[in-house]
Amino acid sequence: MDRFRQFYIDNGDKLFGYLLRKSGSAHLAADLVQETFTRYLERYRNNEQSAALLFTMGRNLFYDQIRFNKRFVPYEENNQESVPGQEENYIAREGSDKILSAMARLSDDERDILALVVSSGLKYQEIADIRRCSVANIKVKVHRARQKLKDLLQENNHG
Amino acid sequence: MDDSLISLFIDDELDLGEKIIFVETVHSSREFSLEAVALLEQEKRLRDLPARMPVLEPQSVWVGLPVKEISSRSWSFRSWWQPMAGFVAATLLIGIGFLLMPRQSTLLVAQAEQRFVLYLPQASQAKIIGTFTDWNPVPMKKIGTSGYWSLTLKVPQGEHRYSYLIEEDGRMVDPTVAAREHDDFGGENTVIVVGGGDAPLS
Repeated sequence: MDRFRQFYIDNGDKLFGYLLRKSGSAHLAADLVQETFTRYLERYRNNEQSAALLFTMGRNLFYDQIRFNKRFVPYEENNQESVPGQEENYIAREGSDKILSAMARLSDDERDILALVVSSGLKYQEIADIRRCSVANIKVKVHRARQKLKDLLQENNHG
Repeated sequence: MDDSLISLFIDDELDLGEKIIFVETVHSSREFSLEAVALLEQEKRLRDLPARMPVLEPQSVWVGLPVKEISSRSWSFRSWWQPMAGFVAATLLIGIGFLLMPRQSTLLVAQAEQRFVLYLPQASQAKIIGTFTDWNPVPMKKIGTSGYWSLTLKVPQGEHRYSYLIEEDGRMVDPTVAAREHDDFGGENTVIVVGGGDAPLS
C-alpha cells in the first residue's frame, strides 16, 4: 500500500490538473480523480504502476461522464453545476478563470492534448500512446493548440 | 521558420540537432524570438492553474487512498445513473407487491446493506446522520490505523439524504458522491438512491 500511496502522491495533483483543464470544473475533476484511483487500484494493484495507464483511465471516465450527461442531462445545465461558493471562489482566487474559459473555447481534441502535455509530465511518446496516434501528430497538434489559445486570450483581452 | 520548435522547447522534447536550430533561429529571427517568449509567458499562466486539488470542508479528505477492500465505494460514481435504476426497481417492486399481495394493507419495505466509507485520518470521531437514521447520529467505526471510517447500515430502498458529523460540530457531505442538495437550515446533504441492483463496473 505504501507503493500505491507514493503513486497517488506523485500523480494525484497531476491527474487533477489534467481533468481541471479538460473539464473546467474543479468539482468534477476532483470526483473523477477519486474514481480513477479507486478503479486503478481495483484492477491493477499488482501490476507495474503506470502514469500513462492512470491518465488513460481518467480520460475515459471523463468521456463516459460526458456521454452520460448528453443522454440524460442538458450539458450546459450540468456543466454549471458546482459546489456553490467554494469552487467559484477557489477558481477566482487563483486567477485561473480567464485561462480556463479560453481553454473551453478550444476544440475537445486541442484541449485534451494541451491539458495532457501541460499537466501530466509525460513525454510526447507516452501521450501519443494514450491518444493512439503518432509522436509527429502530437508535435503538430500541441503547437497549434498553444497558438490558438494565445489568439483566444488576446481576443479576450481586446474584447 | 518552423515555429513548432517552440513547443518542443517548452516541453523539453528537442533533440541536440533541433536545439542548435532553435538557438540559431532565436538569434536570427526577432519574430521567432518574440513568439517564443509569448508562448512561454502563456505557458506560465497555464501551469500556474491550481496544481492541487481543492480541499473541500475538513482538510485531508482528498489526501486519502482508495483501498480495494472498500468495494462499496464503487457505487459513488454510479450515483449519476442509479436514480434511474432505483426508480425502475422501486416501480417493479411496488408492481410485484400489488400483484402478489393484493389483500395486504401494507407493503414490505425492501432494505439493502449500504456501506459508508470516509477517509479522515485526523478525526477522533465520525458519525453519520440521515433519513435512514431518522436524523439521529450513528457513530462510524475507525478501521485500524488506516485513517478510514466505516459503517454498514441496512437502508430502505429509495432516495436518501445524509451527511457526516466530524468531531463535535463539523458537518460534511460525502466527498465521493456528486449528488448534493441544500437543506432548509443552510446546510448541505448528499443524495443517494439505494437499491435497483448492483450494476457491474464498465
